[in-house]
Amino acid sequence: MINAFLVFNGQGQPRLTKFYTQLDTSIQQRLISEIFTLVSNRAPGSCNFLPLPPLLAASSTSNTSSSAQDQNDVPSFVTYRNYATLYFIIISTSTESPLALIDLIQVYVEALDRLFENVCELDLIFNYETLHATLGEMVVGGVVIETNMERIVAGVKAQGTVAKRPVNEGRGGGGLGAGLGAGLGMGGMVWPGTR
Amino acid sequence: MFEKSLYDLIRGLRNHKGNEKEYIQTSLKECRSEIRSQDMDVKATALLKLVYLEMLGHDMSWASFHVLEVMSSQKYHQKRVGYLAAVQSFRPDTDVLMMATNLLKKDVAASLPIIISLPIGALPHIVTPSLAMSLLGDLLPRLGHSHAAIRKKTVVTLYRLALVYPEALRASWPKIKERLMDPEEDSSVTAAIVNVVCELGWRRPHDFLPLAPRLFELLVDGGNNWMAIKLIKLFATLTPLEPRLVRKLLPPLTNLIRTTPAMSLLYECINGIIQGGILGDGEDFSAREEVASLCVTKLRGMVSASSDPNLKYVALLAFNRIVVTHPFLVAQQEDVILECIDSEDITIRIKALDLVQGMVSSDNLVTIVSRLMRQLKASSTTLNQQQNGLEGQGLETDSSDEGSADSKRRRKALDRAPPLPDNYTVDVIGRILMMCTQNNYANIVDFDWYIDVISQLLRVAPAPRAKDLDGGLSPLKVPGDISEKIGNELRNVAVKVKAIRAVSVRAAELVVSRMGSEISLSQPVVSGALKPIAWVLGEYASQLLSPDDSLRYLLDIVPRIGDPEVLATCLQAVLKLFAHVSGDDQALWTSERKSTVSLLMARIIHVLEPFSSHPYLEVQERAVEFIELLKLTAEAAAGQATSTDEVQQDPPLLLTQAIPSLFAGWELNSVAAGTQQNVPVPDDLDLDEPIHPNLNSLLAQADSLMLPVQGDDEFEAYYNEKPPATSMSSEPAIKRLVDAPEEVSSSYQQSEESYLDSDIIARRKAERMERYRDDPFYIPDSTASGGRSTPIHNILQKENGPDLDIDSIPIMQLDLDKPNPQGRASPAQHQQQQLRPKSKPNQRIVVAADETLGGSGLSTPRTTTYDSEHSSEPSLAAKSRTAVAKKLKQHSLLQITSSHLSDLALGEEGAGQSGGGGPLAHERQQREEAEMAQALKEVQRLRLEMQRANERIQIAQGVPVEGVVVRKKKTTKKVVKADEGQREEGIRGGEGLPEGEGVKPKTKKKKKVRVEGQEGAGGGNGEPVVKAKKKVKKVVQLNEGEGAAAAAEGQ
Repeated sequence: MINAFLVFNGQGQPRLTKFYTQLDTSIQQRLISEIFTLVSNRAPGSCNFLPLPPLLAASSTSNTSSSAQDQNDVPSFVTYRNYATLYFIIISTSTESPLALIDLIQVYVEALDRLFENVCELDLIFNYETLHATLGEMVVGGVVIETNMERIVAGVKAQGTVAKRPVNEGRGGGGLGAGLGAGLGMGGMVWPGTR
Repeated sequence: MFEKSLYDLIRGLRNHKGNEKEYIQTSLKECRSEIRSQDMDVKATALLKLVYLEMLGHDMSWASFHVLEVMSSQKYHQKRVGYLAAVQSFRPDTDVLMMATNLLKKDVAASLPIIISLPIGALPHIVTPSLAMSLLGDLLPRLGHSHAAIRKKTVVTLYRLALVYPEALRASWPKIKERLMDPEEDSSVTAAIVNVVCELGWRRPHDFLPLAPRLFELLVDGGNNWMAIKLIKLFATLTPLEPRLVRKLLPPLTNLIRTTPAMSLLYECINGIIQGGILGDGEDFSAREEVASLCVTKLRGMVSASSDPNLKYVALLAFNRIVVTHPFLVAQQEDVILECIDSEDITIRIKALDLVQGMVSSDNLVTIVSRLMRQLKASSTTLNQQQNGLEGQGLETDSSDEGSADSKRRRKALDRAPPLPDNYTVDVIGRILMMCTQNNYANIVDFDWYIDVISQLLRVAPAPRAKDLDGGLSPLKVPGDISEKIGNELRNVAVKVKAIRAVSVRAAELVVSRMGSEISLSQPVVSGALKPIAWVLGEYASQLLSPDDSLRYLLDIVPRIGDPEVLATCLQAVLKLFAHVSGDDQALWTSERKSTVSLLMARIIHVLEPFSSHPYLEVQERAVEFIELLKLTAEAAAGQATSTDEVQQDPPLLLTQAIPSLFAGWELNSVAAGTQQNVPVPDDLDLDEPIHPNLNSLLAQADSLMLPVQGDDEFEAYYNEKPPATSMSSEPAIKRLVDAPEEVSSSYQQSEESYLDSDIIARRKAERMERYRDDPFYIPDSTASGGRSTPIHNILQKENGPDLDIDSIPIMQLDLDKPNPQGRASPAQHQQQQLRPKSKPNQRIVVAADETLGGSGLSTPRTTTYDSEHSSEPSLAAKSRTAVAKKLKQHSLLQITSSHLSDLALGEEGAGQSGGGGPLAHERQQREEAEMAQALKEVQRLRLEMQRANERIQIAQGVPVEGVVVRKKKTTKKVVKADEGQREEGIRGGEGLPEGEGVKPKTKKKKKVRVEGQEGAGGGNGEPVVKAKKKVKKVVQLNEGEGAAAAAEGQ
C-alpha cells in the first residue's frame, strides 16, 4: 500500500503532504527534508527510485529482515518523479508495483493538468485543497481506488468548481510559472502507461 | 478587523521572503484568535490557513477542538476544510476524537454522496479500534450505495478499519465478496476490491484461494492493466498453496509477456512468475524451461547497460528475488550485474550490491572489491578537492596504467561524481568487510592485499557522527562507528592469520603514526578504529618497526581521545609498549639508557596523570594503577647505579622482569561469539552471594578515611624537577636517530596510498616483491620478527636517517610518479622493501578459526552477518537475524501493521473454524459492552457500600491513621494507583489481622488485586460474589482494557 504521498518544489518547500499513518509534524518535516536531500542529489538520468531515507531505513532494519511476511508491511520503495519545478514522491510498501507507481504519479499530474488547464506550480500553491481532493479521488487510506482520468476529474469537479489561478499572480509571477504541462509531453515514457 | 484569506496568507508568505518566520508567527497568532470567532466562515478560513501552515511544519494540535467544530458545519465547503484538517492534524493522542463519533455516523449516513465521501475518506487516517467498532454498522450499508465512487471508497475504508479492528473484516467480507463476484459491478469498484484483496492476500492466502476462478477471469478479460498487475501479485502468493494454478496461469502470463505494450505489466508478469514459484521444478519441464529462459532473457535485457534506469532497477529487484530460489540463473548474469555496481545511480548500485554480496567467490572478490574501492576513493577525493581546492591531476595521470579505455572513462565519470552520502559509504564499507570475511576469510587469497584494502578503507571511512544526533529517534539502530569495524578487521587478521601478522602490525603502526602526526593537536580523535589498532600495537609490540615512535604517537594521541572505552584500551597499549621498549634485560644499564627510560616514564606519567580522576571507572583504574607502577619503577630506576666500564649493572628488575611479565603469557586467540556464555558455571560459585558481607560498611569507612598523601610530594618534586635536571645534550640526537627513518617510511607510504587505489598498490607491491626476490641487493629478512633487531636494518637506519630526513619529500615524489621501469629501486624504496617482511603472495595461509566450546548451541559465526537496511538476501544470516528482529517488535515509521489480520479467519468456512459461529462478532462485542457497563455500575455500588462499612469499623477501632488513609482513598477513589493500594496494604498488615466481618473481605481484596495485576484476568473461582466484584473493580482502575474482560467474566 501507499504510505505517503508528497509534493515539494525544487527548494524543498512542501506543496502537498499526505501521510496515510499518523505522524508527528516534526517527523513529517524531517522525512520530507531527508527525501528532498536524496532527490536533489540525483544524477541526471538516474532511475525514479530513491534509496530509503535514513529515517525509514533506520526504523525498518529490524523489520525488513524479520521475515518475508512482515516485509510487506514496511515502507520499502520511495518513488519520485520530477515535473518542471516540482517533485512528486510516493512512499510505498512492496505490495505496490514500482513501475505502476511512476504511472500513478503521471496520472495524478495529468489529472491536475486537466483540472487547471495547463497546470503550473502556482496553481498548486494557491489551490492546495484541490490537490488534496484530487488525491482523495485516487487514493484512499493508502489504497489506489481510481486510475481512470475521466472519473478522477469528474469526482473532483463534483465537489465544487476548481478555482482558477489568481489573475494578478499570472504565469510570470515569481518565476515559478514554468508550466508542469511541459513535463507532460508523455513521449518520454518508456513504457506505454498502464492505463 | 480584516481577516486574511488563505490566498492572502500565501501571497504574504511569498512577499516576505527572508523573514517568513516572523510572518508565519504573526499569522499563527491571527489564526489563533480568528479560530475562536463565532462566524463559521472566519473559523473555517483560519483552519484552512492552519492546515497550510501545518504542511510547512507548524504544529496545530492545539486546534483539534476547532477542527471538530468546523467538521460539524452545515456547509459543505466548510465541512470539507474540517475533514481535511482532521486528516492532516489528528494524531494518535488527539483526545477529541471520541466526540467525533456521532458526527461521523451522521455524515456517513448523509444523503449527498460528496458528504458521505468526507468521513469515508478521512476515517483511514483517524480510525481507532473503538471508533471502528462504533462506525462499522454505519459503513456496511454504504457498500450497497448507488454511487460507485462511494462503494469503492467504502471498501478501502473497511479494509483500514479491519487493520485496527479485525472483526470489521469478518463482518464486511461477505458483502465485499459479493461485489467482487458481481460481473455487473462497476469496473473501478472491482479494481479497488482487487487492490484490497491484494493487500490482504499475502497475510492470509488460504482464505482467498476460493476466489481464484473469479480472479483468473478478471485477469484474462479484465482489460485493466492496473488491476492485472495487482492480480498477478495476488496470484504469486496463491500459487505456492495451489500448484494446479500454475498450469492455468502460465498460458495467459506468457501471452501477456509476449504481447503487452505496457512495460510495467510485462515486468509484473515476470515478477509474478518468479515470486509464484512458477519457475523451475515440477512436471512439464520443457514448458517451464522455456518460461524461465524467457524471463531471464527479458530481465537481462533490462539490466544491460543501454537500458532505461528504471528497468535496470526493477530487474535487479527481480534478480534479488530469483537469487533465493534459483541462484544459478542469477549467477549467469554476473557480468551485467557487476556493471551495475558502477552505475552513477546510487539506488541501482545498492540493489546490485545486494545481489553481488551473495555471488562473491575467491575468483571475483578482488574485482568486486576494487570496483567498490574505486568508488569510495573517487568520492573521497572529490570531497577533499571540495575542501582543499585541490585538483585531481594525480588521478588522471594515474589511471594511465589502468589498461582499458573503458575503465578509464568510467573512472573519470566517477571522479566527477558528487561525493557519496555518508550512509552509503558506510554501507559499502560494511559490505566490503562482509564479503572479505565471509566464511572465515575463505575468499581471500592475498592477505597483503586485504591489509592494504583495510588501510585504505580507514582513510575513506567517514568520521562517525555524534551519537546523540542519530540516537534520538532511532535508538534501535545506532549506526556503529564504521571505522571501528574496519579497525576490528585489522585486529582480527593480526590475531587470526599468523603468517601475515607482521604486515598487519605495520599497517596498524602506520595508522597510528598518521593519526599522531596529521591531525592538529587541538582536534579530538574520534576514529573508533583506534581502539582495536592500539590493542594490536600493544599486543604485538615485538613486531613493531619502531616501538618507540609508536609509543610516542600514542602518547600524543591519548590526551585527545574522547571515547572512554577507546581511552582505556589505549592506556593499556601504552604500558605494553613501554614494557617492550624499556624492558630489554640484555642491554646494559648505561647512563644513557637510564635517562631515556626515566624521561619516558616521566612523560607517560605526565600523560596519564589527568586520567587518574577520569569519570569512567575503567580509565581511572587503569590510569591510577599504571601511574603508581611507573612511579615505583621510576624510583627503582633512579636508585639503580648505572654501569660503567668497570662495573656492569643490570637494569632494575622491576623494569625488565615485573612489568613485562604483566603482559606476557599465553597467546590470545579469537573466540567465537557467544562462546563465553557456554563456559560452565563452577558448582561452588554462588553468584548471588555478596563478595564481601559488609560491603556497605567498608564503603562508609572508605569515605571517612583520609588517604595518606605521603610519598606524593617526593614524586611530585621528582616529576617537576625532571626536565631541567635531565636535559642532556645527547638526548635529542638519539631521538632524531630513531625517528627519522620511520617518518620517511610513513610519509612515503601515505603519499602512495593517497594517490593510488589500493588494488593498484597491492599489485605494485606484489610486483615489487617478485622483482626483488632475485635481486642481489635484497636481503631477505629471515628473522621476520621485527625489523629492529636486524643488524642490516640498524645500519641502514643510522646511515640513511639524517640524509632522508633532510630531503625526503622530493625523493619520494620522484619515486612515485615514475613507476620505476628499470626495476631498480631508489634507496627509500629499497629500504622499504627490506623492512617489509617476506611473504609471498598467493601463499597458502592458515586462518585460525574461532575457538569454541563444545556443544555451543549459542555461538554464532561472527563473520556471516552483515546488517544492512537494504540487504534482502535471505541467507542463514537473515534467518539468524529473524529471531532477534522478532523480539524487537518495533514498527517502522509510516508502517501500518496488518499483523492482527493474520489471526482472523475469513469466509464461511473461516467463521466455522473460529468456533465463534452464531452472531457476528461485532454484534457480540456490542452486547458484551453493554454487559460490561452494567457490571461496572454494580461494582461501583458494591464498592461504595464496602467503603462505608470499612469506615464504620475504623471509627469503631479508633485508629486515626486508618481514618486518614481511608479519607484519602475516598477522595481519590477514581485514580487509586496500584502501588498506593499496596502501600495501604502494608499499613494494614502492620496493624495485625483485623477482626470483624466487614474488614475481612477488604483485606482479601487487596491481596487479590496484587495477584490480578500480575496475572491479568483470572477466574473468580468459588469466592463470594462480593469479593469477586471487588477484584474486578480494582482491575478496572489499573487497566481499563483488561477490566472489560474481567468484568465480563465476573458476570
